[in-house]
Amino acid sequence: MNSLYLAWQYIRFNKFKTIILVASITLIAVLPLSLEILLAESERQLLNRAESTPLLIGAKGSALDLAMNSLYFDDEVPELLTMAAADRVYDTDLALPIPLYARFQTRGHPIVGTTFDYFDFRKLKIAKGQPLTMLGDCVLGAKVAAELELGPGDSLVSSPENLFDLAGVYPLKMKVVGVLTPNHSADDLAVFVDIKTAWIIQGLGHGHQDVTRTRDSSVILKRSEGNVAANAKLFHYTEITDENLDGFHFHGDTSIYPVSAVIAVPYDDKSGTLLRGRYLEGDESQLIILPAEVIDGLLQNIFRIRNVLDAVIALVGLATLLAIVLVFTLSLRLRQREIQTIFKLGCRKATISRMMMAEIVLILMFCAVLSSAALGVIDSNAEELVRRLFIG
Amino acid sequence: MISIQNLQFHYPNSEFRLTVPEFAVSPGEKIAVVGPSGSGKTTLLNLLAGILTPKQGKVRVGEVAVSDLGDAGRRDFRISNIGFVFQDFELLDYLSILDNILHPYRITGALKLTGEVRQRAVHLAEQMGIAGHLKKPPGELSQGEKQRAAICRALLPNPSLILADEATGNLDPTNKNRILDLLFESVAEHDATLVAVTHDHELLPRFDRVVDFRKFQQGAGSKELGAKSPLPPTPDSQHPTPASP
Amino acid sequence: MKLTRLLILLVFLAIATQTFAAKRLSIYTVNYPLAYFAERIGGDQVTVTFPAPEDVDPAYWMPDQKTITAYQQADLILLNGANYAKWVDKVSLPRSKMVDTSSKFKDRYVNISEATTHTHGASGAHAHESLAFTTWLDFSLARLQAESIYIALARKRPMAEMAFKRNFQALADDLERLDTRIRAIVARDPGRALLGSHPVYDYLKHGYGMNLRSVHWEPDQAPSMSQWNDLKQILEEHRAEVMLWEGEPLADSAARLKEKGLGSKVFSPCGNRPEDGDFLSVMQQNATNLEQAFR
Repeated sequence: MNSLYLAWQYIRFNKFKTIILVASITLIAVLPLSLEILLAESERQLLNRAESTPLLIGAKGSALDLAMNSLYFDDEVPELLTMAAADRVYDTDLALPIPLYARFQTRGHPIVGTTFDYFDFRKLKIAKGQPLTMLGDCVLGAKVAAELELGPGDSLVSSPENLFDLAGVYPLKMKVVGVLTPNHSADDLAVFVDIKTAWIIQGLGHGHQDVTRTRDSSVILKRSEGNVAANAKLFHYTEITDENLDGFHFHGDTSIYPVSAVIAVPYDDKSGTLLRGRYLEGDESQLIILPAEVIDGLLQNIFRIRNVLDAVIALVGLATLLAIVLVFTLSLRLRQREIQTIFKLGCRKATISRMMMAEIVLILMFCAVLSSAALGVIDSNAEELVRRLFIG
Repeated sequence: MISIQNLQFHYPNSEFRLTVPEFAVSPGEKIAVVGPSGSGKTTLLNLLAGILTPKQGKVRVGEVAVSDLGDAGRRDFRISNIGFVFQDFELLDYLSILDNILHPYRITGALKLTGEVRQRAVHLAEQMGIAGHLKKPPGELSQGEKQRAAICRALLPNPSLILADEATGNLDPTNKNRILDLLFESVAEHDATLVAVTHDHELLPRFDRVVDFRKFQQGAGSKELGAKSPLPPTPDSQHPTPASP
Repeated sequence: MKLTRLLILLVFLAIATQTFAAKRLSIYTVNYPLAYFAERIGGDQVTVTFPAPEDVDPAYWMPDQKTITAYQQADLILLNGANYAKWVDKVSLPRSKMVDTSSKFKDRYVNISEATTHTHGASGAHAHESLAFTTWLDFSLARLQAESIYIALARKRPMAEMAFKRNFQALADDLERLDTRIRAIVARDPGRALLGSHPVYDYLKHGYGMNLRSVHWEPDQAPSMSQWNDLKQILEEHRAEVMLWEGEPLADSAARLKEKGLGSKVFSPCGNRPEDGDFLSVMQQNATNLEQAFR
């Protein structure tokens, strides 16, 4: 106790040195452990999303691009396939198809075109407003709503794909009808629309006055038996309202309309296996993947860097420890006179050692407390930190 | 109180030699030890305290043959029976004055820090006139006040022997006499014996006896300073500059 | 003691049964025929809702948001297919609950020859305006639609499959009888020219090989001068003696047709709930009226 008391008094008196020592040791203890916590949490979040998605179907190409765009709504849009891919899954009677079309953006956030089933599949609930009902409706992820300060009743315009967009991807004013509860996933950062709305954004569907009945001949290119061809002057609605909803339609067969991926939710394990088997033909133009496998492979590669980080931290730690040893050694030298004095007074060698050790013990105790507190804070906020720092 | 017989000492790898054929101090005596620098005065104090052990001969303090004790025994004996007063006070900056006074009780298991000890420490401080500074760090005290605190620390274990090594060396003339007064009063009050090394010849008449170190034969070779016959005491030209109070 | 245990068991079973029975499948349909089929097949296992108001044509009805939400929350949503209920393309419905009852006979869809489509530019794709959708008027197709409903119900509630099967069989028998009857009627005079007051009889025409042409008249509206003129021109090529009406025509219209040698018979498509009777009774009456038209 006396040793601790003396050590405490010494530490208190030499605040600056103590703070530096405690900070250095705490940092070197917290850094690798917190990195480990954050990496483990990153791995968990990324894998969690992938594991909750049984099967993904896309165009033959990069499985990683397919997974990243479909699971995390990455900017890189994979090769597109058509709605016929979803119909194909449906017709097998082995799985429920959920098409995704994650190509467009609005105010920096991805617009995800999908079907109503997606929300049940991902267990997304409505916090405010209501789910998608009509064409032109959009439902915001929790973070999108918070960031853009939008809620039910507000509107949001889709962004053109490029500055000189002449290809028909025109801005559509969407109506915000609902906001989702936080899901702690990429869904929080997305704007959801019905897939048909996404096609309208692309220009595959549109709304305009009825040209078969119009009296304005300036919008008519040609009338023929059973058909009226309209010209470019015909105004296309840029917003879907209750009044003009009836005028919206699609041309051609929607089975050839594009999708970026199809989530296949098998009805049971056997169905899943059977479905996968159907995509193994040599001339198959579509790709079916197990997202968990793809993401796990990616993580294995990414987290190989963890070994490098560990090595770097170990070296930094060693350097810090050496510096700390140096500090203690110099401290001991500075206290040589004190030691000689107490030696002269009659202090035993063991007591002198105990006093020096007591200082180290106290500093280490402070470091342990601070480290525990820091790691506790990091651990309890790991989910949020990972989303902000790594996943975005 | 103190008895030295046929003592010989030298430091390893050094030409310095200390030879003390005979040295005795009676209980309660106040002895001043004088001599030129490097003559071995501090060495003698260290031998008396058991910090050093002679190569030959015995050192007795009271009934105890200090030179015959082991290292632990000498330390325990020292902290319980011998009080040290240093020229530079040797107070710890990071402890309060009270904690400095109580310090010997915190660095050994031979002394137990009790409430009674604390009360005695406060009483000693009152006697020394520093009771109002007990909570302050040494840095806030004057040189004289620091030395008084050091004296309190030396006296607290009720030592039978007090060794003062240039205790007034860093004090101005006014404080020197005051400190010496306090030291003498405390020594008398505690029935202790005082052996004080000093360069200050003005203070010598106040001691019971003055031992001139030049009467002890010293090491041979180029460093030989001592003469076989006693030399008259001469002022040391290397007086340290007195410190302000 | 034994009696007490028996009583407790009976009470428990009653509660369990009641609980089970109370959880009927909620089924929403886009027209009345599908609602009728679902009611016949589902029996007391289902609660069927067809929310279109009685005075609207369900093919052109647009439900409000509240109704769409109700559709979304149903256990099953029965669609007719063939572009019936265009509102389905404009709303979000869960595919997992949707049943396209005509998906198995898409190859037998009928295009409307009289419809006008539109394109953008000279060579753009056509908009979907050209499919006839009253598929149930071909009773062999109606039977297939009913079968789709039976399969969907059995999948949703396998424990009641036997009951669903029995009910479907009974309904299928009724539809087959209707089918046989219509074929027999038409077979008496396959080339008999008929007129349809509205282009809703395409499946009747194609399914049974009728020589039928349609105009675009409403039973509760007096035809315009140009409509009478168009009719005149049609009659020059297509010497029909009977016009089939969706509902009872105005007396004046019928009288004027009579002057031109055209009788009027009601053949109700029964897209919405009838005021009296049900789908079967309406179709049986339709068959009777058709029989008279072929005399």
